[in-house]
Amino acid sequence: MSRTPVDRTAVLTIVGRDLRAVRRSKAITVPMVLVPASLLVLLPIAVGLLARNAPYDTVQRALESSVLDRLADPILSLPPRERLVVLVLGYLLSPLLLVLPLMVAAVLAADAFAGEKERRTLEVVLHLPVTDRDLFLAKVLSAYVPAVVITWVGSLVYALVANAIAWPVTGRLFLPFTQFVAMVVWIAPAVALLALGLLVIVSSRARTTQEANQLGGAVILPLIFVAAAQASALMLLPVLGVVAVGLVVWVAALGLLWWNARHFTRDRLASAG
Amino acid sequence: MAAAIETEGLTRGFASGLAVDGLTFRLDPGQVLALLGPNGAGKTTTVRLLDGVLTPHAGRSLVLGFDPTVDGEEVRRRTGVLTENAGLDDRLTAAENLTYVARIRGFGPAAARRRVESLLERFGMADRRDSLTAGFSTGQRKRVALARALIHDPELLFLDEPTSGLDPAGTRDVIALIDELASGGRTVVLATHFLGEAGRLADRMAVLHHGRLRAFGAPDQLASEMWSGLGAELDLGGRVDADTVGALAAVPGVSSALAHGDGVRLVLDDRDVLPRAVAAAVARGVPVYGAATHRPTLEDVYFAIEQRIAAEEGGLATDAFASPDPVGP
Repeated sequence: MSRTPVDRTAVLTIVGRDLRAVRRSKAITVPMVLVPASLLVLLPIAVGLLARNAPYDTVQRALESSVLDRLADPILSLPPRERLVVLVLGYLLSPLLLVLPLMVAAVLAADAFAGEKERRTLEVVLHLPVTDRDLFLAKVLSAYVPAVVITWVGSLVYALVANAIAWPVTGRLFLPFTQFVAMVVWIAPAVALLALGLLVIVSSRARTTQEANQLGGAVILPLIFVAAAQASALMLLPVLGVVAVGLVVWVAALGLLWWNARHFTRDRLASAG
Repeated sequence: MAAAIETEGLTRGFASGLAVDGLTFRLDPGQVLALLGPNGAGKTTTVRLLDGVLTPHAGRSLVLGFDPTVDGEEVRRRTGVLTENAGLDDRLTAAENLTYVARIRGFGPAAARRRVESLLERFGMADRRDSLTAGFSTGQRKRVALARALIHDPELLFLDEPTSGLDPAGTRDVIALIDELASGGRTVVLATHFLGEAGRLADRMAVLHHGRLRAFGAPDQLASEMWSGLGAELDLGGRVDADTVGALAAVPGVSSALAHGDGVRLVLDDRDVLPRAVAAAVARGVPVYGAATHRPTLEDVYFAIEQRIAAEEGGLATDAFASPDPVGP
C-alpha cells in the first residue's frame, strides 16, 4: 500500500465524475428510485392503513403470548390502539431500510469497475497519475456516499410517511425512536461498507456489469436475507445491543475493506479483463 | 543524453502465455517510435508496462528517468496516453470528459476550464463542448481523446492507433499534429497498423511478434541491413528491349536491371549511379521520361521482417506480405 498522503483532489474528482455519470444513467437511477419508493413509501402506506384499522385485541393476545417474552415490552407499554400500527411500522417494516444500503452499494459497486470495463473507459483511468490506493478509495466512496445518503434520506421519508399514516391512531410522532436512529445512523453505514468490501473486488474481477451483478447477487443476497430476517429482532434489542451489533458489522466491514485495499492493484485490474 | 525510454529484458506473461518477452530497446528524447506488429503482438502490453499499469515479471525499464514499477505515478504524470478506443464516458459531455482528467492532473478549476476550452478549440470541438459524447462520430471521439492525452502537455506520448476510424482529412490533421508534437521535442510511441502514417512519422521502428522484439532501429538502417543496394526506376515510355536492359546492367555501379512495365528497375550501389544509368539510356537513343531512386519504405521493411519471421517459424507469409525486394511490388 502506498504511504504517500491521499490525493484528495484526485479522489474527490473521480467520485464527482462517477456520481455525475451515475445520475445520468437511467439503468442505475431508476432502480435506485423505484425500490426505495416501494419499500419506504408504498409498502408502509398499504400496510400501515391495514394495521391502523385492524382490531387491536388480536394483536394484544399475540404480543402477550410467551413467544416474544419481554422483547415485546416496548410495544405492550403503548396504549392498546397504537400497538399494531407501531409494531408494524416501527418494528417490522422499518428494518427493511437495511436493504437499501445493500442494494445501492451492489448496483454502484458493479458499475465501479465492471461498468468502466464495459464502457471501455477503465484504461483511461488506469493511465492517470493516481495511486492504486487512491483509485480504490475513490471507487469505494463513489458507491458508499450514495448508499448512505439514499439510506438516510429514505429513512427520513419513511419516518414521515409512517408518522403520517399512524397519526390518526397515535396522535404523536412515534418515529424515530432510539433503536431506529441507531440502526439508521450506526448500522446502515456499516452494512453499506460491508457490502462494498465484498462487491468492489467482485466488480474489479468481472468483465461486464451483468457478470458483476450476477456474482455480486450471489454474495449480497444472503446478506439481504440476513438483514431482513434479523433486523426486526434488532429493533427490540436494548440500544447498547444495537450498538454492539453495529460494532461487529463495522469491524467486519473495515477488516474486509483493509484486506481488499491491500490486495488491490491496477495490475490485477488490467489483467482481469 | 538520458534515454526517454530504456528497457532491458522486459517480460510480462498472462495465463495465456507471454505477452512481452525480453524486450530491450532504447529511445532518445524527441524521437518517434513506431511500435508495429500484428494483433496480439504485445504492443498494448508494452505501453501498459512502460506507463506502470502492469508490473513486469522480469526485466526493468526506465521511462523519463523513472522506474514505472516503483514510480508509476511520476511516470503517468509525465506521459499522455491515447488508447485505441477513445475511452470517453458517454454519460459525460466532451468538456466534462476532459475536465476531470485536467483536475486529476493538477489543474485548478479555473485553469482546467481554460485548458479544456483551448484544446476543444484547437481540435475543432468547441461547438460540441456541452454535448454528451454518446452522439459523437468516431472522428469526434478521437479528437476529444487526443485533446485529453495532451491536456497536461506531456513529455512522452503513447498513441495507440491514433488515426483508426478517422476520415482522410482527420487522418491528415492527426498526422500533422503528431509531426508538430515531435518537432516540438516530444517523444512519441506510436502503436499502429497504418504503416503509411508510421513511415511518415517514425525515426525508429520496433517490430513485435508474439511479444518478442524482432527488429528495432531506424527504418533506413534496417533496410540497409536487409538489402544491399538502392532501388531505382527509369520511366522509358514503353517496353524496353533486351539490349537496352543489358546496356543498363553493364553501367558501372548497377548491380541488376530488370524490364518492368514501361521502363526498367535497377539496383544501384548508390544514388550517384543513377545519372550514369540515365546517360547510358539516352546514349542508346532511348528517351527517359523519369528517373527516381526508391528508398525502401517503413512498410517495405516491416513486411520483409514479417516475411522473414514467417519463414523462420516455418509458417506461410500472408497475402498481405509484400516482396522483400527494395524496389517494391
